[in-house]
Amino acid sequence: MRTNRLLPLAAAAALLVTACGGGGESVDTGGGGGGGGDNVLVAAVSAEPDQFDPHVTNAYASFQVLENVYDTLVVPSAEDLTMQPSLAESWTTSDDGLSWTFTLRDGVTFHDGSEFDSADVVYSFKRIIDEELSNAYRFATVSDVTAPDPRTVVVTLTRPTPNLLELIGSFKGMAIVSENAADELDLQSEANGTGPFQLESSDANATVLTTFDDHWGGAPSIDGVEFRYITEPTAALTALRNGEIQWTDNVPPQNVADLEGDEEVELGSVTSVEYFYMSMNYAVPPFDNRDVRRAIATAIDRDEVTQAARFGAAQPNQTAIPEGSPFFLEYAPFTPDQDAARQLLEQAGVQTPITMGLMVTDEYPETVAAAQVIASQLEPVGIDVEIQEEDFATWLDRQSEGDFDAFMLSWIGNIDPADFYENQHLSTGGSNYQGYSNPQVDDLLTRAATEPDQAARKALYDQAAQLIVDDVSYLYLYNPDEVQAWAPGLTGYQVRADSAIDFANVELP
Amino acid sequence: MSVLVFSLIHLVRGDPIRLALGTRFSQETYDALRERSGLDLPLVQQYFTWAGRALTGDLGVSFRSGDTVTSLIGERLPATLTLALAALVVALVIALPLGMLSALHPRSLIDRVATVVSQFGISVPDFWLSIMLILVFAGLLGWLPSGGYVPLTEDPLGWLQRLVLPAVATGVVSGSVITRFVRSSMLEALGQDHVRTAQAKGVPTRQVLTWHVLRNALLPLVTVTGVQLAYLLSGVVVVEIVFSWPGLGQLAYQAVRDRDFPVLQGAVLLFALVFLVINLLVDLLYSRIDPRIARR
Repeated sequence: MRTNRLLPLAAAAALLVTACGGGGESVDTGGGGGGGGDNVLVAAVSAEPDQFDPHVTNAYASFQVLENVYDTLVVPSAEDLTMQPSLAESWTTSDDGLSWTFTLRDGVTFHDGSEFDSADVVYSFKRIIDEELSNAYRFATVSDVTAPDPRTVVVTLTRPTPNLLELIGSFKGMAIVSENAADELDLQSEANGTGPFQLESSDANATVLTTFDDHWGGAPSIDGVEFRYITEPTAALTALRNGEIQWTDNVPPQNVADLEGDEEVELGSVTSVEYFYMSMNYAVPPFDNRDVRRAIATAIDRDEVTQAARFGAAQPNQTAIPEGSPFFLEYAPFTPDQDAARQLLEQAGVQTPITMGLMVTDEYPETVAAAQVIASQLEPVGIDVEIQEEDFATWLDRQSEGDFDAFMLSWIGNIDPADFYENQHLSTGGSNYQGYSNPQVDDLLTRAATEPDQAARKALYDQAAQLIVDDVSYLYLYNPDEVQAWAPGLTGYQVRADSAIDFANVELP
Repeated sequence: MSVLVFSLIHLVRGDPIRLALGTRFSQETYDALRERSGLDLPLVQQYFTWAGRALTGDLGVSFRSGDTVTSLIGERLPATLTLALAALVVALVIALPLGMLSALHPRSLIDRVATVVSQFGISVPDFWLSIMLILVFAGLLGWLPSGGYVPLTEDPLGWLQRLVLPAVATGVVSGSVITRFVRSSMLEALGQDHVRTAQAKGVPTRQVLTWHVLRNALLPLVTVTGVQLAYLLSGVVVVEIVFSWPGLGQLAYQAVRDRDFPVLQGAVLLFALVFLVINLLVDLLYSRIDPRIARR
């Protein structure tokens, strides 16, 4: 009787043991998505790509894949993100700066075997322009794109655009697809690029790429890449230690210190071009008062914020552009000082305590952590911070409606200073949600935008940046480190400051 | 009900177009995408277009991926079914013996252990349990993969290996809920007059338990199991995310975040349908278990 009643339990236990025991040490790693093969890199990314049309998607998860499938005319170098030849071998600019002539690389083929020529470039660029796709704004100064012969593309401009290379090559959103690709293929799920890997398949489990043997830069030595989506960092790091995967970028900052001493994991890190900032609403008193904003900028200790939000895996910065970029400006006028902050508030003539709603989003959990530190730093100077955590959709709605006192977010993927400043700080800028308007800054940014001489251009941007920092249009906080982890022995991979993921030269251990 | 689903979803704050475009775009781009998605039409018109198509089985197209909603759901349905059924098996394997034993020996040691275990199972956060399972069985012991999913047809062993941990993580919670129902309904059945009569007549204990007690205790058990199954079938978001299990819960969760209305509407409609069907099945099962219900 007794044994009988316990039977189901025993059976269940036995089942569990056999199910577990079957694997032993040899956990099956090939599995998921039918990738398999010993020479396939299995990479864990934290999200599933939404789609694969490079001109339509805005998801980072999609670009992690597309980086390896498509090419652009020019490409940022891994070292300092200056623009290097890719599908375009060389280029010249007319004296008036209004016409750029690109000479295309010879002997480039698409994955379907067709030959790459200037018609593909014209088609790709015109598709973005004519259909008003996400990156159409990058062609704001482009009046025409023509192909006088198969190896030549001419881009005609309405005004000189010294940062044209960055506009057309900084990421794979500007990818060159084959002529008429959008009609011949379903670009949302299929691809025909010129990159080192071909898109083989993609489902809810994994995206699988296979090596493109005829790649113009030489075929990769691995047979392919399998991207698996592992959202939970603990699972990703466990899978890396287990050998289920060989690479992941799902490394939360709080784990970095632990992993540094871990022999089973190799860690790569570089200060990225991303920057986190806080911004205050010029339409909401007293934040329209420059002294109030400066008081807040003085009360905040960026080192503490960085420590709390990133566990130190970031560089505090009072400007936007990270050290290491040719456009870096060494400028840090604020020293954390609560007495000085109180004085500034007094000078401004505002009655403390002030209440400030600080809008953050769980889409970027570190903004929540940073906001808590900022709240504790502002409280002693007489500013009560009310942290408002929203989901990203609501956050964006409130931002665009101007329904906020202050918010925190980051900008990613910027390389040229025009990207760092124009959209955010021109009084007509599309992302100037704070409502900043300084005619001097407008003038400097407008002049810099057409200045052909690099040194003169940098000088103009430096002046503008100083005003932006002094006026606290943005209260810049830090540049986070891009941290990635891989299996010891994996070579040919480099962590990039623009967070692009390039597996072309990887060799597995 | 479809009206309710539709209006609730559209009442939520957040603009799917702005989300899809990120933070930098021109007004022209915004307008163009809004028109392509059909979001520029009046809401009432959007509803009737959607409802009309839904009747023919066409649930529309995802704003984000461009895939049809039916294909997105179809792709994730097998994973969800697998996990739901496996979790239910785990739940019953825990709940039936534990619940019965504690009902047969009320206030005994085993009863107290069962109470503690089920209390633990109900209150433990599933993300914590899932992460612990990964750290122990995938990390420390290296017995099982840390997550993922392979179809049964492709790799039966890999399928089973990847199924165990998420099934346990979800099954423990459901099992704990069911344990309590098994215990209380068994206790109730045990106290009924006909059971005492049967025992007095000298019917063997085993027969009393199976015929007189279990059968009576089955009704509430079937109800709660049905509810648990419906809950499992509508996707267990947290466990799916932690174990990278490509189920409907993840799909619906992502659709909420992206404000991908067509996908969300399709998923919610499916969940509602699952509840209806399971309730119907439970009701039909009642009359099989208790003929009195059928006669009424």
